[in-house]
Amino acid sequence: MGEGAWKLAVPLGLAQFSFFLAPLLLLAATSFATDENFSQFSVQAWLDVLGDSFHLGAVLNTLRLGALAVLATMLLAVPLALLHMVAGPGLKKIILLAAVLPLLTSVVVRTFAWIVILGREGVINTALLSTGIVSSPVALLQTEPGLILALTQIEMPLMLLPLIAALARIDPSLLDASSALGASLFRTLRKVVLPLALPGLLAGATLVFASAATAFISQSVIGGGRLAYLPALVWQQAMVVFNWPLAAAMALTLMGSVLAVAAALSALARGAQA
Amino acid sequence: MMRLAARDRPLALLILALAAIGLLVLAGPVLIVLLTSFTTSQALRFPPPGLTLRWYAELFDATRSAQIHRAALNSLAVAACTAAIATALATAAALAISRSRATWARFAEGAFLAPLVLPGIAYGLATLMFFSWLRLPPSFLLLVAGHAIIATPFALRTVGASAAGLDPALLESSASLGASPWRTFRRVILPLILPGVAAGGFLSFVSSLDNVPVSLFLSSAGTDMLPIRLWGMMESALDVRVAAASGVLVAVAFLLLVVMDRAVGLVRRMAG
Amino acid sequence: MTDLSRRTVLGATLGLAGAALLPGRPARAAGSMTAAVYPGGWDEALRAVLSPALKQAHGVDVAYEPLFAVDQIAKARAARGTAPFDVFVLDPGPRVSGIDLGLFEPFDPARLPNRDKLPAGYADTVGAGVAAQVVGIAYNPKKLAKPAGWRDLFKPEYASRLGLTGFGTTFGTISLIEMAKVFGGSESDVEPLFVELRKILPQVAAVAQPAAMAGLFQQGQIDVMYTNTYTVTLLKSRGVDIDFAVPETGAAAFGTTMHIAKGSKNIDAAYQYIDTMISTPVQAALSQAPYFFVPVNTGVTPGADVPVKSLDELKNFVSHDWSKINPLRARWIDRFNREMAK
Repeated sequence: MGEGAWKLAVPLGLAQFSFFLAPLLLLAATSFATDENFSQFSVQAWLDVLGDSFHLGAVLNTLRLGALAVLATMLLAVPLALLHMVAGPGLKKIILLAAVLPLLTSVVVRTFAWIVILGREGVINTALLSTGIVSSPVALLQTEPGLILALTQIEMPLMLLPLIAALARIDPSLLDASSALGASLFRTLRKVVLPLALPGLLAGATLVFASAATAFISQSVIGGGRLAYLPALVWQQAMVVFNWPLAAAMALTLMGSVLAVAAALSALARGAQA
Repeated sequence: MMRLAARDRPLALLILALAAIGLLVLAGPVLIVLLTSFTTSQALRFPPPGLTLRWYAELFDATRSAQIHRAALNSLAVAACTAAIATALATAAALAISRSRATWARFAEGAFLAPLVLPGIAYGLATLMFFSWLRLPPSFLLLVAGHAIIATPFALRTVGASAAGLDPALLESSASLGASPWRTFRRVILPLILPGVAAGGFLSFVSSLDNVPVSLFLSSAGTDMLPIRLWGMMESALDVRVAAASGVLVAVAFLLLVVMDRAVGLVRRMAG
Repeated sequence: MTDLSRRTVLGATLGLAGAALLPGRPARAAGSMTAAVYPGGWDEALRAVLSPALKQAHGVDVAYEPLFAVDQIAKARAARGTAPFDVFVLDPGPRVSGIDLGLFEPFDPARLPNRDKLPAGYADTVGAGVAAQVVGIAYNPKKLAKPAGWRDLFKPEYASRLGLTGFGTTFGTISLIEMAKVFGGSESDVEPLFVELRKILPQVAAVAQPAAMAGLFQQGQIDVMYTNTYTVTLLKSRGVDIDFAVPETGAAAFGTTMHIAKGSKNIDAAYQYIDTMISTPVQAALSQAPYFFVPVNTGVTPGADVPVKSLDELKNFVSHDWSKINPLRARWIDRFNREMAK
């Protein structure tokens, strides 16, 4: 290890260079052409993305969706990770199993499950109607809150697993010591647990943000046609309209903006560790 | 469990309540899929009018579901290779990045995450364009490479979070005691970052297993992939076997988790 | 780019890892071929009916690659015009794209011994029709009265239960054009449709991806949609409460066609494959449960559950000129996105 440590990053660097960067450059070149055979140079695709309020709106919608998904997953993942930290072995296993469950239901059948849950005659509406909380079905499917709820489940493992891993390194006696010294639970969490959990939290936030912002199938099936997000537009331009320069420009815009947010989170993580 | 003072109860209760909601949100959709997989109806339907094991029998029927089996084997093979490659590459890179505070490390960390944020469909399209240009048709290896690129960031993040907590003094003392770098890795580092590596391997595996957009472009007639097959069965006919396939996956994963739990415990014992 | 520089790039980028990837298109044994097939029902049907018939008649083995029509075109195009399979199966929209992009080998109907069984015009210089699809309104008979036509979908009782889908699919495009016609539009003018859609949009039950439609219908989120008879029959056979309504202006029909991919190395097998597909026994078997294809072979009487009684009936259905529609479609798709966005 020591000075030569950077060499360990070389294999991944090479792999990403040949299998990611090279195709990406081709994509970038395509975005500056009139078609994928590079017949003519053109910035039309970029004008169509960056100079169009509908497309810019879709960019912002997508980033907003990613951010809300991060907040929603944090709200539930942090308590779950804390519970996991102090739980006995039985409960620990239950939480761990629950944490990976969403990864095990194929994206295909998951979309059906969410129609069942969020639909007009779905599980939530049936419960609300039968308890008399509402008198007519609430619109959940194909709304932003409904989509965020679905993404919370789908993306939760990406937040919960790094968080559990980070908290697993905290010595429980540290917590006892803190409370024995008279610190409140809130203070213990803030002063002892949070700093140690931060790398995991930020790792989770990056993954959830990126994954939720690009979750094309969930966005289009659960979100529906009235919510405009960039990944569905990329798909449409690439696969239905065959306007590859525009698809490429949209994909790169999405990538650039999501990467900027991820980089900011990463910088935060560095700052938190320093 | 820590003892709670009276003033801490409201916060503790709030945490417990949110954790309970969290469990419900995590498990709810899966329970619905599982229940649906036992339906007596001919098409996916919830609530099921009655319960039967028929769809599992159909799913395991060697003739009627032969194509599903073939696709499942393809998907498992690709996912296993993907997980192995992605985890190995990511673990090495994460160790390098976590040990350095230099600018390149920060840059590399960001760059390595890039595949995560390119929409899968655009990546699949670009990769097929690029390799067709090099006259390389879709193949098993290309498919694995594509999946591994998408999966690596997941592994990098989880291993990275574990590696960030490594105590440099520990590594130096191991080296100063004359241990080779490999031995240091094997006996000192790996046991410490194992949860992160295992999580990374698991995430890579399932991300590959469930990948639709990259497979759409890079798979061929010889490498029919499970999610794409399931998608077709679900879309046109609401085929209940799609839910049964998920049921099988949950059961297998549950077993795997139990086994891994034993195995990791075993590794820990061997290391200690 | 020349071969030499291509190889140089290859060597530089991939190094040794590339060597393992190099062996190109796998050598195919004589008498084998690869065909694209729609995932789901088509995939199951062709594997069960066409594959054994082809093997028996010509000794040809066929491997299938499940891809939707647009995905076939995208994949062939991304692969620089050489599709990784020998035969396409397409709807009219993607068919025209394929012709424009030069993705097909010239097609010689004379090489199909069964061509006489097809109605005139079903085999041409680009490919052959192998199945028909009929598009109209699907509704839940337990919840709604049978709609008389497209105009009914815009009445409050239907609009509030309606699932809309855009110009992304052939059936979606055809249905929306038919609606536009009812309101004074035409094949090249869908503006009147958008005016009407704007009025009902706040009540519409769902605006969804075609892939989600069946699930939304089954779970009662929507009770009326537009689709083809094939989907309706398939879902009905699986116990879904669904019926097909022929609009008063007539149902629309279109052909599903097969084409030989440019550069195919298995042209003989490809012709044999298409010929077997249109043969009487295969068409007859495909029109029965559980497949419900609308046959194109004049010697076949459609199965009892297929809502078309004879091929002559097809002639009365509305058809569309896709060479006019295709150039306008990108704009309509974009327009639909913007009109639907909240």
